[in-house]
Amino acid sequence: MAEPRRDFVLRIAKAAGVAAPALAVIEGTAAALPKSDAVDLEVLYAALTLEHHAIALYDEGLKRSLFPPGLRNYAVEFRGDHMGHRDTQIAIAEERGGHPPGPQAHYDLGTLPTADRLIREALLIEVAAQEAYTALISRIRTKDYLLSAAFILVDEVRHMTVWQRVLGVKIY
Amino acid sequence: MASTSRRALFAAALAPLEAATEYASPNEVFAAIDGLEADVESRLRALAAALPSARAFAQSLLRDHARHRGGRASLRQRLKLPVASVSTAATADDVSLEALRVAVEALVYAHAEGLPAVGDAFAVDQLAHDMVDLSRHLTLVQLWIEQEQNRG
Repeated sequence: MAEPRRDFVLRIAKAAGVAAPALAVIEGTAAALPKSDAVDLEVLYAALTLEHHAIALYDEGLKRSLFPPGLRNYAVEFRGDHMGHRDTQIAIAEERGGHPPGPQAHYDLGTLPTADRLIREALLIEVAAQEAYTALISRIRTKDYLLSAAFILVDEVRHMTVWQRVLGVKIY
Repeated sequence: MASTSRRALFAAALAPLEAATEYASPNEVFAAIDGLEADVESRLRALAAALPSARAFAQSLLRDHARHRGGRASLRQRLKLPVASVSTAATADDVSLEALRVAVEALVYAHAEGLPAVGDAFAVDQLAHDMVDLSRHLTLVQLWIEQEQNRG
């Protein structure tokens, strides 16, 4: 039986190291977090942990040449996007006096023996990122971060849609 | 297709707000969205008329727009904004996919750049969800263009 969508989003978010307050928002159990600098930082850190995870997956797939030639350009583009998102959010967090989390020493990416498996794993991470940003965006207080998060969300939807299309998922 | 420069600017850099279209009020945001949405719809209808194979795609996107419009009407009530004036766009002469892509992209950007001006968490959440739909539409149009280019 397929894993419920919210469960796998939470699984990915937990595996990436997203902290409890942001997980509660993604889970839908934190209905009324006040907007504050502290919440902005929680959102930033949650987003950042997912960006680190996505970069690790694309790095691994590219290093092992697991993306088919026709799809490698997307993987390179998306990895670049995630690196940009990471750098943006580190800069925003540091500007606010935060201490943004670095990448984990090791990510459990599962076994990725085939392109199909890799792309399915990439899709899961992109869906998790898209759902996390969508869930968290209304909690953001500062205008500059809200604007950046909105454009990051646009990127995440693009990544997700491309992999869905590649895998033949019905989109419309 | 690489990220467009404007999107990349905001997503991958600490962009100054001055570089974005800065909306002064929620009403201004909603008015911009209404107008741009009407433009996209005009292009979708023209495309569907010119290309029967695009009809299902166009109808699906138009259904999403109708749902978004209904949601914005509720948000207008919540935010005590005036009822939307009926937005009409001239019938699109240019039925190219590129013209459609540009129009959808402008609608996506209006959502993204409008969020900071909305000032209400519930409305931000709803418009962000609409933006997710529209970003998916944009990607589908981009992929369609790429597919046509690959065919030569």
